Amino acid sequence: MTRNVGIVGGGHAKWGVREASYKDLIQEAGKATFDDVPDVGPKDIEGLFVGSVQPERFAFQTHVAPMVAELLGVDVDSMIARTELACASGQAALRYAWLAIASGQLDTALVLGVEKMNLPREHMAETQASMTNVMDREFDGVNGLNAPPYFAMIAQRHMHEYDTTREQMARVSAKNKSHAAHNEFAHYQKEISVDDVVDSFELSPPLCLYDCSGVTDGAAGLILMSEEKAREVTDEAAWITGSGQACMASNSINNLPSMSAWPQATTAAEQAYEQAGIDDPLAELDVAEVHDCFTISEIIEYEDLGWVEKGEGGQFIEDGRSELDGDIGVNPRGGLLGCGHPLGATGVSQALEIFNQFRGTVEDERQVPDPETGLIHNLSGSASVHSVMTLARGRPQ
Amino acid sequence: MSDENHNDHGTDRDVVEIPETIELPRLLDFYELQDEANTEIHEFYDNLRDGQLTTTQCRDCGDLQFPPRIVCPECQSDDLEYVDLPHEGTLFAFSTLRAGAPIGMEDDVPFVVGVVDIGDVRLSARIDDAEYDDLEIGDPVQLKIVDIDGPTDQERVFYRFEPAEQ
Repeated sequence: MTRNVGIVGGGHAKWGVREASYKDLIQEAGKATFDDVPDVGPKDIEGLFVGSVQPERFAFQTHVAPMVAELLGVDVDSMIARTELACASGQAALRYAWLAIASGQLDTALVLGVEKMNLPREHMAETQASMTNVMDREFDGVNGLNAPPYFAMIAQRHMHEYDTTREQMARVSAKNKSHAAHNEFAHYQKEISVDDVVDSFELSPPLCLYDCSGVTDGAAGLILMSEEKAREVTDEAAWITGSGQACMASNSINNLPSMSAWPQATTAAEQAYEQAGIDDPLAELDVAEVHDCFTISEIIEYEDLGWVEKGEGGQFIEDGRSELDGDIGVNPRGGLLGCGHPLGATGVSQALEIFNQFRGTVEDERQVPDPETGLIHNLSGSASVHSVMTLARGRPQ
Repeated sequence: MSDENHNDHGTDRDVVEIPETIELPRLLDFYELQDEANTEIHEFYDNLRDGQLTTTQCRDCGDLQFPPRIVCPECQSDDLEYVDLPHEGTLFAFSTLRAGAPIGMEDDVPFVVGVVDIGDVRLSARIDDAEYDDLEIGDPVQLKIVDIDGPTDQERVFYRFEPAEQ
């Protein structure tokens, strides 16, 4: 890439079951974002990238990028679009904003991720209907194969093939939800134990309710700038050092490469590591926000992001290597398990967390010691696509 | 309210009426419209209606697809033929859904859903007449074909599986 690109600030709406509309969430996150970067205002934004997955179903609204521009007073004069990549839509928006700046199309971009997922309780089956159709609706969704039973089968296969245990999976949730208890915007605000996870409602065995991320309303924003522009407004940024994605011509069950491994994650990570000059990710990365939509996901990600041998992900959490003071601090934000997963907002929030970890603005209880490098990861749909981005506190050469 | 121009609040405002309920619309119907007027893989559904599960195979490169296609994703040929799939398979993975069902399936909860290997194809399917606790990976399962009733007048079918008779 020709130009360095930095995240110079960002902000969150409060996440949870919100008494607020889709448009309210956008405005809350937009204000928090601009408040965080006093020297950048809506009129400075040249490109707007909005991550949002199903506003047509959840908020009965389409063409949402211009709605964000209007609500936040952004006069776009270069690029504007919404990105849809299911659970990775926020990172997709961030990736396009990065590319637009790196390639010289523009200097200042706003990335905003938003999802309003909680409908009145009697309509939640509509939400679930939409979530079920991330695979082929005609042949997979039709079987009621929404996320919990699908990832339950991933867990079942990983346990079957690698002897991963029920308790190892529960440790992921106990860790991440306990981080979220110290994160003011997070949906879930209570520390929990391994026993709490195992004893929770057995929603889709072997997964229990606390193995699953919640249905959450939320929004988050980021401001990205070229290095030249960033220097005018701040001394501190999270520099994007690498970004990769992979999809292996597959989305429905028959065509997935595996139900216990995600080689797409390995490919996406290798792209990002190579761009960032990372040879030994576990030694060189300090903090990571990975896609723990379900507890089993984080365990597979330890393996397929190249941090530990295949099949040893369960042991990795059991040995405490992903704790804040471990080999790599994983999901200090609280992850999707603790923060909730408002689909389009998640990747945006993960990147903001890495920046906040770099600048030391998170609560002390969940601060990783002096991080210099970070990673965000999202999977989407049936985990058929994986997206990885690396970030650094120091400006790349 | 004797005066029909009055609303429930007793004001003179006009009342805009919207329906209390809407019948399950096509946009929320999981099952495809299966006839020739709506899909170019209608032969798959015709075969299923006749009692045979099939899929497409490329006559040029031999690639076996599932779901059925009209163009081979391996060589871009559109010369595909329908081939029979076995009606017995094995359970590769399974779980059950005990809450949070999609619209139209709320009354089915709890239900078992699984991944089944049949021949060289792996597909997801509902596993009927089975309890989660009674199943194991590798269990034999057999095809059953079900009729789909509503919300269209079309005669629609779909495949499910059930534990094989031992």
